[in-house]
Amino acid sequence: MANFQTVQDRIAERYSEIIDEPADFIKSINKPLKQSFRINTIKGKKEEIVNKIRDYDSNIKNVKWCDNAFISNLTNLGSSIEHFSGQIYIQELTSMIPPIIVQDLLQKNRIIDCCAAPGSKTTQIANIMENKGHIIANDSRHARIKSLRGNLDRLGITNTTVTLRDFQSFPNTDAEVYFVDAPCSSEGTVRKKNAVTRKWKEKDYERFNKIQKGLLKKACQMSPIGSTVVYSTCTFAPEENEDVVNSIINEENMELKKISLNGMKMGKGITNWKKTEYDGNVEKCARIWPHHNDTGGFFIARMEKC
Amino acid sequence: MLTLLDKTKKNIILEYCSERFGINDNEFTDYKWYIGSKNRIYIGPEEIERINAESIGLCIFRLDKTPKPTTNFIQLFGGKIKKNIVELDKKNTMAFCNGLNLEIETNNEPGFVSVNYNQIALGCGHWNGKILKNQIPKSKFCKINFL
Repeated sequence: MANFQTVQDRIAERYSEIIDEPADFIKSINKPLKQSFRINTIKGKKEEIVNKIRDYDSNIKNVKWCDNAFISNLTNLGSSIEHFSGQIYIQELTSMIPPIIVQDLLQKNRIIDCCAAPGSKTTQIANIMENKGHIIANDSRHARIKSLRGNLDRLGITNTTVTLRDFQSFPNTDAEVYFVDAPCSSEGTVRKKNAVTRKWKEKDYERFNKIQKGLLKKACQMSPIGSTVVYSTCTFAPEENEDVVNSIINEENMELKKISLNGMKMGKGITNWKKTEYDGNVEKCARIWPHHNDTGGFFIARMEKC
Repeated sequence: MLTLLDKTKKNIILEYCSERFGINDNEFTDYKWYIGSKNRIYIGPEEIERINAESIGLCIFRLDKTPKPTTNFIQLFGGKIKKNIVELDKKNTMAFCNGLNLEIETNNEPGFVSVNYNQIALGCGHWNGKILKNQIPKSKFCKINFL
């Protein structure tokens, strides 16, 4: 029977105890995600770009919690003139959240994006910084650096230095904000076209957990007092989310901060998973469930070094 | 490996930008200038030595015998370009973005031009008086469906 279980079924079953409305959740993860995109105001004025897009897609809708984000009914905006010229970036809505929740801290400062490729967040951060300040965009794989470089070029990003190294061996470098968008089992992208829909085994979560703890630990160790670390994944697995954050906050003297975004419903971090209790502060993390805002699944933690 | 660009070479490019495209020097005051392999010129943030950068900022020119603007440059500074602009119609825009050279008529002086559609800077072209030669890198060629 298990052989006929879809990835969606398996996800629904594994997380049934921590989902608030299981029926809505199942319905939602079986529905394809609409294409979303972000206006790159480095390449033009938002209103002008939006008006031109409306010439061929009159149904685009503004996202209420992000001024620059829109949803389209078209599936191939990648072949639009605005995409070609770098005026838009096709990006899943949840992936836009980490830069938005710390946007007040980004102006003209130094930012480190620890796992930057393919550059969705890096280009978004650069846009918020109006191409000023300094972003260090790192990734550990050469093939992924190519796509990062391509997106930086297309969007006209000038304030970014690209590095290629395992972040755990990155030289200590002070910054105002560190983004750790860690590699993960990507279960939250299950609604996406061409999503990686593998049926993960329990030991895969352990493997990711180890990598994620290493990355987050390094970012926290490197961060000066008062700086911010934003940890995110696109998975539902507590092993890759709350468990990772829980183990680092006490070890590295990090204080979790509450996350909120006007117009977006966010779930709390969980404090109990498979008989393991986590620190009560882990509730301050945010879980984005697909059925709450018609998005993919996502997890974010915002921490400050004490 | 990038090194800081010397003042003489920087001035050659600034002069070219001003004469060819009417771009004011002030547009470039916030950047550090670098030169890399194949005489590629980059503008970007201050270099941090210890981190061994793969790249810094954006490649905007190649400086061989004469300066050659990149499509990155044209797309980013397109709004500041005041002359030597070729405005295309829909059909030619689709062909140009797909990598084709165009036989068109224009009053511009021969040399590099900003190729535009509907006030959007598409990229760099080279006008030789008869043909608009496509200068968009192959990796960026795209079949445009929506414009």
